[in-house]
Amino acid sequence: MAFEDTQITINDLSFNIEGKTLLHNTNLSLNGDGITVLLGANGAGKTIFLKLLTGLLTPCSGSITFQGRNLSIKTRAFVSQEPVILRRTVLKNMLFVLEKITSEKSTLAKELLSLMGLDKKEHQNALTLSAGEKQRLCLARAIITDPEILLLDEPTANIEPNSTTLIEKYLIQKVRSYRKIFFVTHDINQARRLADEIVFIHTGRVFEHSSAENFFENPKTREARKYISGKIN
Amino acid sequence: MNDISEAFVSSLGLILFLDAELLEIILLSFRITFYAVLISSILGIPLGAFLASTHFKFRNTVVSILFGMMGLPPVVVGLFVYLIFSRSGSLGWMGLLYSPTVMIIAQVILILPIVCCLTFQIIESLHTHYNEFFRSYRIAKLKSVIAYIVDSRFELTTVVLAGIGRSISEVGAIIIVGGNIDHITRVMTTAIALETSKGNLDLALGLGIILLATAIVLNGFILFLRGKYLKTPGSTI
Repeated sequence: MAFEDTQITINDLSFNIEGKTLLHNTNLSLNGDGITVLLGANGAGKTIFLKLLTGLLTPCSGSITFQGRNLSIKTRAFVSQEPVILRRTVLKNMLFVLEKITSEKSTLAKELLSLMGLDKKEHQNALTLSAGEKQRLCLARAIITDPEILLLDEPTANIEPNSTTLIEKYLIQKVRSYRKIFFVTHDINQARRLADEIVFIHTGRVFEHSSAENFFENPKTREARKYISGKIN
Repeated sequence: MNDISEAFVSSLGLILFLDAELLEIILLSFRITFYAVLISSILGIPLGAFLASTHFKFRNTVVSILFGMMGLPPVVVGLFVYLIFSRSGSLGWMGLLYSPTVMIIAQVILILPIVCCLTFQIIESLHTHYNEFFRSYRIAKLKSVIAYIVDSRFELTTVVLAGIGRSISEVGAIIIVGGNIDHITRVMTTAIALETSKGNLDLALGLGIILLATAIVLNGFILFLRGKYLKTPGSTI
């Protein structure tokens, strides 16, 4: 994939907490579409980076711009590793995030639930869903807000394989074409399946940023090579 | 012993035959409790939810004061309300002293901190879970406070029931501000205190039985709700 149409620019982004730097000065120019996988070992700083992109954390320095303007929170939707489910029905969970509930949005909610295999459970208490179903609901709930950027923090880390397959298939076939996706994972195989480009993070620094093909075929840094070969977990 | 058993039998007669005086006292007790708990819940639940989900400069000070107020001595509250509403008090012109209204006011002062603080504790734990989600979707403050209340409905029911239990069994404050006036401000607890001192154990025991039954039913209901809530997936207590 070519990177001429760069749309997300990150300048000198850093994040410290209690004197400890969790993300060192980061400069990146990211593709405005497709799936960018933030890859790295546990504790590398992937989630910090994603939360800075989401706006849930405020950077200590630096800026993030999207299509030349400051990244507005309205353009983003975030799905965390642990699904946050409200104590109400599946459909009401979907509609909760909307500012205004219209008949079109209600129809869209049902369509999204159907795509996620939850159409028969829309009136069920959402807390009774399985872990995978909850995460599928969270993804559908994120999509209904019509975000320009979708930020997913290891959404398939604790769920059953069939839900992982369904989510990956949905992201690749339905979402990728018209939305920018950031996907955090430490699963190399999942990164291979999903990524258009890879941002490899290690010890709070971006070590590599390249197309998925280049990253896996020809990693430039020693850390990336060690990670791909399984020597860094 | 015979006096006690006779009084007990006699009190059961009062209950079974729906003695008019007994009924009047019970109904007034329930009316005062209803309004006191209603006002405390309308004010205390949203306030507790707001405090649990919002950070501002003096939040911890406000919360500490409210928690301290949970242990307010009822007699002191009664005295305080009495001084305000007595003829020479700042609100004496309202002429509310020795009326059910001022009894409700005293009860609200006692119950409001309890409802508010218990709500705070319940919603604080839910806030930890929901906070990031609400922020990431830019959910408006009012909408998020309503969501906290709706999603804690089972636990909050027990808070309301705890308020009812506290209110219906209170005597110290309402006897001072209500004056225990027959047919006007006499409620179950003040009547029990008076009738016992007069040696009229029939009515005192009758009221005592009703009060005890109310407490048992309320506690039973709290346990029932708690059991129902614990069966709800995602419950945290």
